[in-house]
Amino acid sequence: MTNRRNFLKTSALGAGAIALAPSFNQLFAAQGVVGSGVPKRFIFIRKSSGIRPSEIALPDFSNKDKALDEKKQPLEVDLDKHELPKWLRGLDAHKEHMTILQGLSAKMSENVHYSFSSVMGCFKSNRNTLSAIKRATIDFELAKLFPSAFGHVELSFAGGRTGIVSGYSAPSPQTRNYCYADPDTARSELFKSVLNPEAVNSDNDMLSFLQGKEGLKTSGIKGHEKRRQEVQIKSINAIRERNKKLIALSGSLAKHLPELAPVHANGGANASTPEKQAAMTDVLISALKAGLTNVVTYTIDDLGTPVTGLPGNETDRVGIHPLGHDEAFGGVPAWKTREQIRISHVNQINTIVEQLKQTPEGNGTMFDNTMIMYFPENGETHHGIGLESPFLIMSGSNCNLDIAGRYIRLPVLGTEGHKTLGNLYTTLLNAHGNPIEHYGDLDLEMARKKLDQMGSIKQFIT
Amino acid sequence: MRRSQLIATVCTALLNYCTIECVVASEEKTAAHPAFQVSQEAETILDRYCYHCHDEDEQKGDIRLDNLSDLEIPKRLDLFNRMQEQLYFQHMPPKKKKQPSEADRKALLAFISTDLGKHQASTLEGTLQKPEFGNYVDHKKLFSGEYKDEPGYTYDRRWLISEYIFNAKFQRMLENTTQIKRGKKRFPVVGGSKVQNLNLANPFLLPTVSGVRYYANEDLTGGHLSSMLTNAQKTSAYITNYLVERKKGKYLPAVSQIMALDDQHHTTLASRREFLENFIARLSDEIYGDKNIILLPTYKPVTLKEVKKLEKGEKYKKAPIHVAQNMLKGLEADTMVFRLLMDPFQSKKSDAEFRDLCERTWFYFGDHERKIQGRMTLLRDYLSEFREHVEKARRKIKPLIYKPLADSEMVAIESAIRKHRNKGDYYAEIIEKCMTDWEQEFEQDRIAAGPPSDQLLSGLVSQLSVQILERPPTTTEADEYLTLSKSYVSKLGKLKAIQKLIQTFILASEFSYRQEFGAGEADEHGRRMLSPRDASYAIAYALTDQSPDAELASAAASGKLNTREDYQREVLRMLKKRDQHYLIDPILADKNYQDNSTNATIRKLRFFREFFGYPAALTVFKDEKRFGGDRLGNATSRLLNEADRLVEHILENDTNVFEELLTTEKFYVYHDGDNERMQAASDRIKSIYEHFKDTDWKNFKKEDLLDHKEFLKKVKMRSVDPDKLDARNRQGDTIKLFKMSMTTITARLDKGQKEAAPYDLYRGYGNDFMSGYNVSKFFNLPMDNWDYKTIQPAKVANRKGLLTHPAWLIAFAQNTETDPVLRGKWVREKLLAGTIPNIPITVDAVIPEDHTKTLRDRLAVKTEAKYCWKCHEGMNPLGYVFESYDDFGRFRTEESLEYPDNLITKTSDKGPALDRGKLLVDVRDIYKTSPVDSKGFLKGTGDDSLDGELKDAIDLAERLGKSRRVRQSIIRHAFRYFMGRNEFLSDSKTLIDAELAYSQSGGSFDAVIVSLLTSDSFIYRKPIEN
Repeated sequence: MTNRRNFLKTSALGAGAIALAPSFNQLFAAQGVVGSGVPKRFIFIRKSSGIRPSEIALPDFSNKDKALDEKKQPLEVDLDKHELPKWLRGLDAHKEHMTILQGLSAKMSENVHYSFSSVMGCFKSNRNTLSAIKRATIDFELAKLFPSAFGHVELSFAGGRTGIVSGYSAPSPQTRNYCYADPDTARSELFKSVLNPEAVNSDNDMLSFLQGKEGLKTSGIKGHEKRRQEVQIKSINAIRERNKKLIALSGSLAKHLPELAPVHANGGANASTPEKQAAMTDVLISALKAGLTNVVTYTIDDLGTPVTGLPGNETDRVGIHPLGHDEAFGGVPAWKTREQIRISHVNQINTIVEQLKQTPEGNGTMFDNTMIMYFPENGETHHGIGLESPFLIMSGSNCNLDIAGRYIRLPVLGTEGHKTLGNLYTTLLNAHGNPIEHYGDLDLEMARKKLDQMGSIKQFIT
Repeated sequence: MRRSQLIATVCTALLNYCTIECVVASEEKTAAHPAFQVSQEAETILDRYCYHCHDEDEQKGDIRLDNLSDLEIPKRLDLFNRMQEQLYFQHMPPKKKKQPSEADRKALLAFISTDLGKHQASTLEGTLQKPEFGNYVDHKKLFSGEYKDEPGYTYDRRWLISEYIFNAKFQRMLENTTQIKRGKKRFPVVGGSKVQNLNLANPFLLPTVSGVRYYANEDLTGGHLSSMLTNAQKTSAYITNYLVERKKGKYLPAVSQIMALDDQHHTTLASRREFLENFIARLSDEIYGDKNIILLPTYKPVTLKEVKKLEKGEKYKKAPIHVAQNMLKGLEADTMVFRLLMDPFQSKKSDAEFRDLCERTWFYFGDHERKIQGRMTLLRDYLSEFREHVEKARRKIKPLIYKPLADSEMVAIESAIRKHRNKGDYYAEIIEKCMTDWEQEFEQDRIAAGPPSDQLLSGLVSQLSVQILERPPTTTEADEYLTLSKSYVSKLGKLKAIQKLIQTFILASEFSYRQEFGAGEADEHGRRMLSPRDASYAIAYALTDQSPDAELASAAASGKLNTREDYQREVLRMLKKRDQHYLIDPILADKNYQDNSTNATIRKLRFFREFFGYPAALTVFKDEKRFGGDRLGNATSRLLNEADRLVEHILENDTNVFEELLTTEKFYVYHDGDNERMQAASDRIKSIYEHFKDTDWKNFKKEDLLDHKEFLKKVKMRSVDPDKLDARNRQGDTIKLFKMSMTTITARLDKGQKEAAPYDLYRGYGNDFMSGYNVSKFFNLPMDNWDYKTIQPAKVANRKGLLTHPAWLIAFAQNTETDPVLRGKWVREKLLAGTIPNIPITVDAVIPEDHTKTLRDRLAVKTEAKYCWKCHEGMNPLGYVFESYDDFGRFRTEESLEYPDNLITKTSDKGPALDRGKLLVDVRDIYKTSPVDSKGFLKGTGDDSLDGELKDAIDLAERLGKSRRVRQSIIRHAFRYFMGRNEFLSDSKTLIDAELAYSQSGGSFDAVIVSLLTSDSFIYRKPIEN
């Protein structure tokens, strides 16, 4: 029996059961770009509490490069000639696909503790209010270019919530996405047509009734109203067709259905952080392999995410917010725990890369067509100011960008040639078929100084 | 026939539409289309006017017209659609070229339109229905009177709901209420985008442009439906799982009735679970006595990670107690630990004993090892702090008192425990086994009770129909939905069936469309009056976002909405109504800006908000550095709110409304509309100033404040309590805060000011007296020399009308510069009923940089070239006059040339952050300047006494305020706003009547609304022609 009284407890913002393959109107009509038939995939991994530029800088820079990096002067070096910072070494085997991108600014998005939707939308989010969402976030823009059954999937460990809850991505202005907040929910919702075929049938019964009822209304009406009614019927039918497609995918879905350990049942209250992350990563990879989506946004943590079971704090429960203030737990200094958190993230990125590299696609592997972007949601520190927003990018060979295998530091904010998050996102869009002139709000310091800041990062486009 | 002639005269495209339909109908009967041929007549016209630039030798704009017969059909139709628009809007041939006669233009249009019609490919009709093409209907003809005898009407239609109606529908359906503050009072309001605890995706968002945004042109698409499907699912769960219970059976009582047995079972199960989770250990001791411990699993304590010694030089800062408390709460152990520490017996235990007690309790209950580890780590590291916390918070911690359930329940529980308990079971396992047993038992009871009766389901159908569609179901619908409900119940069970039924109602097209259909006998023109129910909604949605109020619904139901007089009565009543408060701007509400409501019908105010477009000021991203002060967001919110208040004030006076909006010299600046409150606030500050001004307050020691104790207690200076002289906050201690306050108080009164601006005494945290004090900066009012007006609206220097209000000026500006083109275009289109073609895609609309020139000069270089000027001539001379104001709307005579090489004085980029607590700083950098040229030219009022050279924006405002064309243009936009469509010549009488109503009423906008909503164009509907 559904527990009616626990509705608000289990579903923080009142999100109930979601449609079989939910999508927003902006994705529903997306036609996508004409291409080789193999879609490009994008995984955005948001982390909280900043990435300090010094943490992601290469430890064995030459003195000259070190000086340039510290003075935030433009710099570019090949990664294969250098050692990675300790926390990134889990990705040593994939350096040729790695980009460490420094020098991007994010002042047009919200900084300090949280950026909410704004780090992926380049606007000020006014503390996460709906009306402040100015545009579709970059992940949804890319999802429109590469349509899929779900269109877009958002996963999140933000706030330690479970179930289906509000997300940070935005399908359109003033609209908020929802996300799956624990691996069990993500699995059961994404693979619903396999796990819960009853939901499919009940949706279809309802749509069939509505279609019949609206169909009756077409008799006796003329002109535009008749056309309008026909559009309505066609729309219902389109949703039924979409559901049919998803059911047709059931074979593929069943093949890729991830198995989760019992500890993840009902939100996985007792699962450790590494276990939760690994399970969510499994679901993410399965969804990509099954073709459910080509774009995933994954909030791997925020300041409210409880963290347990990390090396050094195996039996503790630690908080990311206090760690950001250097407040520590279990006798382990805060910086060490923060490093362990980043290592746990890198382990997930490594799993995704490895798994996709092992999955054939076209003449290569799925990873060839995949970009993974790992970045802080709020800028460079626990209290980010957006002067810098370091990005770690893992990109396959077919990813239309000429960035792999390098450490790139762009000119600092307020100087000629500086690039913002908006420039990076414009680059992603331009490189994949959306010719937008500039994505996102402009930086006001660049504008004040009359410095050019429009468009893509030309040197990144192949 | 006469109508066809009329349209043929003025709207060739629409005539073509009718003609084409006939052609298609007849040709469809006669088989395939013949091969395409350019008619001789068309060939001659093309040759005469077009081939010169668009033939084999030359293809301007990549257009070639001399090979039409050779083009593939899709290419030809695409080209014909472009030609049709160019010809219809008279953009081609270019004005400097030889122009075709009207007959030639019509002939060529007819040729093109016929071919497009054959393929049902014409796009012009759709184009003409778009808001941005409203002005293409000839203005003079509309008001000439030549067409005033034509019968006005609107076609029968459905009109997709707006974003506002979407919100209102869900708020009404879910009986969601909100409150808002105005001044010191709180009011219930309707409107806004929030439903408590429910996150909906609004698929009906309107375009973010100035002017009329909501038209009846949109269709419900798969995209809308897709979002609505998700909304419906969330809402159905919200209703059944939350709302029905919260409203205790008063909301959709059929749901509670159908779920009665389930709910009863649920209540029993929840009560048993709660009892067991709290007291199973005690109960087990009672049942099993000494044997209980034997039955429990063997206790095994958890292992904790050893704390390592810090490495040499390593620093360690232990997380504070409040963090640990949160962690303990996250691990669901805070209540138990604190209750045990409250217990005098347990709290006396040593730390080790206490930890052992807790761990054993958790172990025997069966909590997960990791959870216990987390808790025990906290008890290891923070137990002494927890003890201290409990001592301090003793009154807030509720003890757990044992209270057995009813005897019959205790019997059931004891019996189940005895039945299910095995040796080695944790308590949680016993509870789960009992619960499973009881659930199965109850489920059998429900199966035995059978499905809900038809009567109950029919009741549910009726209630849902009323709650969601706002009407009872018809007999047929009742039968259909009953059958559907039964099918749902059999497949899904009761709860999911109810949810699915709710979803089905929400997804009905009737929910997403407004219905506006005629009913009854048609008149001699084939028109019928709106059906009373549809009329009630049409009136309600014209004036508000809500469904008809009780009086209107009653009028519709009782045959009192059948005449023009009935409409007039209801519209007048609603316009006068003041007992309902509406949220003005959901965006301001989102920003937690409270003072944001009106008690006048919301759509009247919203018309002018959208027409002027000043709310866009909130979305233009600007920086505090160039603003010169902090909390720019609050200041902009207040600015917008005070623009709203000004419009509301003018509408409330309802005299010469358009002229007042365009020429008023009185504005609200940091004022909440309550003159008495503002006066009292000023008086208080003046009294403090008077009390201390002759003292040596700058050198006061804190003890000196005691000499003024009584006075200070009376006036209550912020953070200055003579009884707590040692108090301090983040800004400083009492004496420091006193001096900070006195500094700002002195600044606002020591230069001969009569009143004191009532902003806070110092910049602090928490609630301001009124947020947004920096709004003064937009009006060039320095906070340290502000001759504040307590009675407002009041005259502000260098301002005249809304077009000089900073909110409007910001809305039509860029991030760091003004935008004369945007401002001029707005005046041309909105006030002069003019048209400006869309910017050609070949144009690179970037203003060149030049560190020595003003924006106007740089813009002139780009736009005053011959090719550009033909369009810019209609905009720039109107927009230039606003160059007297910068992009923040501040008046200026000199333009700051903001380039690094022009910098004269640099201030800190961090600005007020360095001067927290100070209100009077201005952190703008100082640059070289150049004189502003605000001269312009007005052309297009149709009045020679008004057209001509303009001195500045104030000159423009004065002339616009006198222009009849401006008045008519506003009325045209009001027509579109209330009718949801563009006007045609057959609406001529409606527009003329509205203008007459305005002039005869002394400039009442209410009179315009009444006139429009009682016009033929509003009342009469015609069946759609095929």
